[in-house]
Amino acid sequence: MSPCTKPLPRAADVGNAPYWVAAREGKLKVQQCDACGRLRFPAASICPACRAGGVHWQTISGYGVVESFCRFHKAYWPGFADELPYTVLQVKLDEGVRVYSNPEREAEGCARIGMRVRAVFVPVTPDVTLVKFREAVAPPRPQAPEAP
Amino acid sequence: MTHSSTPVAVVGIGHTRYGSLPQHDACSLGLWALANALDDCGLSHDDVDGLILNRIADYQRFAQTCGINPTYTLTTPAHGRFSAICIQTAVAAIEAGLAQVIALVYGNNGRSAGVRYAGDSAPYDSEAGGLWFPYGMTSPSAYHALMMQRHMHRYGTTQRQLGVVASTFRGHAALNPDAVMREPFTVDEYLESPFICEPLRRLDHCLINDGGVAMIVTTRERARALERKPVFVRGHAQASSFSGSDFPPDDLWAGAMADAGRRSFEMADLTHVDMSGLMIYDNFTPTVLFSLEGFGYCGPGDAGPWVEQGHLGLGGRHPSNTSGGHLSESYMQGWNLHIEAVRQLRGEATDRQIPDARAIHYMAAAPVVSSIVYAGEAR
Repeated sequence: MSPCTKPLPRAADVGNAPYWVAAREGKLKVQQCDACGRLRFPAASICPACRAGGVHWQTISGYGVVESFCRFHKAYWPGFADELPYTVLQVKLDEGVRVYSNPEREAEGCARIGMRVRAVFVPVTPDVTLVKFREAVAPPRPQAPEAP
Repeated sequence: MTHSSTPVAVVGIGHTRYGSLPQHDACSLGLWALANALDDCGLSHDDVDGLILNRIADYQRFAQTCGINPTYTLTTPAHGRFSAICIQTAVAAIEAGLAQVIALVYGNNGRSAGVRYAGDSAPYDSEAGGLWFPYGMTSPSAYHALMMQRHMHRYGTTQRQLGVVASTFRGHAALNPDAVMREPFTVDEYLESPFICEPLRRLDHCLINDGGVAMIVTTRERARALERKPVFVRGHAQASSFSGSDFPPDDLWAGAMADAGRRSFEMADLTHVDMSGLMIYDNFTPTVLFSLEGFGYCGPGDAGPWVEQGHLGLGGRHPSNTSGGHLSESYMQGWNLHIEAVRQLRGEATDRQIPDARAIHYMAAAPVVSSIVYAGEAR
């Protein structure tokens, strides 16, 4: 694995550290309120629904839908310069939380609104694994995709 | 809805040159703009008893430098959504008797300071943890690109329609000697210009430049004795959508806009057809489309065809951002739009004057939505 010239998770961002630990283990975890069960991500100190502080990290399915995407033609970090343009996905997971991510492989048609996707785990350094997304073929679909 | 028994008026406006002003910081740009605004209305620094600053963090140095000791002082962060919040606050402070003559002052040295809105130094707190940086996700531009992609998917809105917004405002800037970018371009030229974050091109983005703006507001009674025709803050409202705002809202802020728009029109006792012109917060061209829909100038999803019909241009149904806006005049985070509204209602907009302008609607779409109705007559 060559040295990573893209930004890596920041050690100072301790709140979200369990997300990165889980990714290394091939799991997608988000915060869940101990009191009301609501999921939230990114990490936050209290639940925005019931305002309770107690929280644990819950593994979720990794299945979701692409709500939107955009394509960067400008690199804000040197590590992205050779990969322009690259795609960022806005994914709504079946459990209701959202993440930003990338398609597992950049290619024509790698992102479409409404595309059913599942999480895949892509190591980028010995310590860091990113949670990217791949088109899911035969999925359960508990939530309707966005209306055209 | 209660409204003021003491109508509040904008009596003075001032601004600096716009562009690259490396010898200045935000404070000195604000001082420059304030001096011009006081000159404009014939008041002096000694008349100012309220001070509301935006993007000028050091209120103490600012007031010390110009030798004022107001009875009410406030400073607000460097987010564009705060211009209307400051104006609302000034109106409320005057109504409450906290001050009589309030100076609203904005200074921005973003260009010379090398401010970057993306990457490791992205200034918005929601990016501060850098959680999404490993995926290359950063910047307000990308956030708006994600929203525009959904609008295109839902409604068939086209890049050409975004180009109409950008080229219309550039055409207005061509009539404004103070504008930073005055070279007109066609929609076809727009479509050949480079992408920054697709579907957004460079020409869909606001400028990054230095400058300052100031406004003087006071009571109608004080305004009567002054030189300039007063312009009344006849309606104002804000609404917010902070929940879940790490991600773009499903409704593109339409719910908050409908709410704030309705309340500000009720306060003003005016409505859409009464608006001679619009000042639409144009950080990115998509925001203009979302605002036209959210504030009810056209139906949901109709903004693309609506702008293609020419309604934003001088001579159109609602001439908008007649100074060139943030896209082409100057990135003064709302403030240059507020003072353009005042110029239009005074009849001082020269080559870009809207004939017989009586009321102008300022609107901004963001996690804080704001709406201000300016009019030449008080309610």
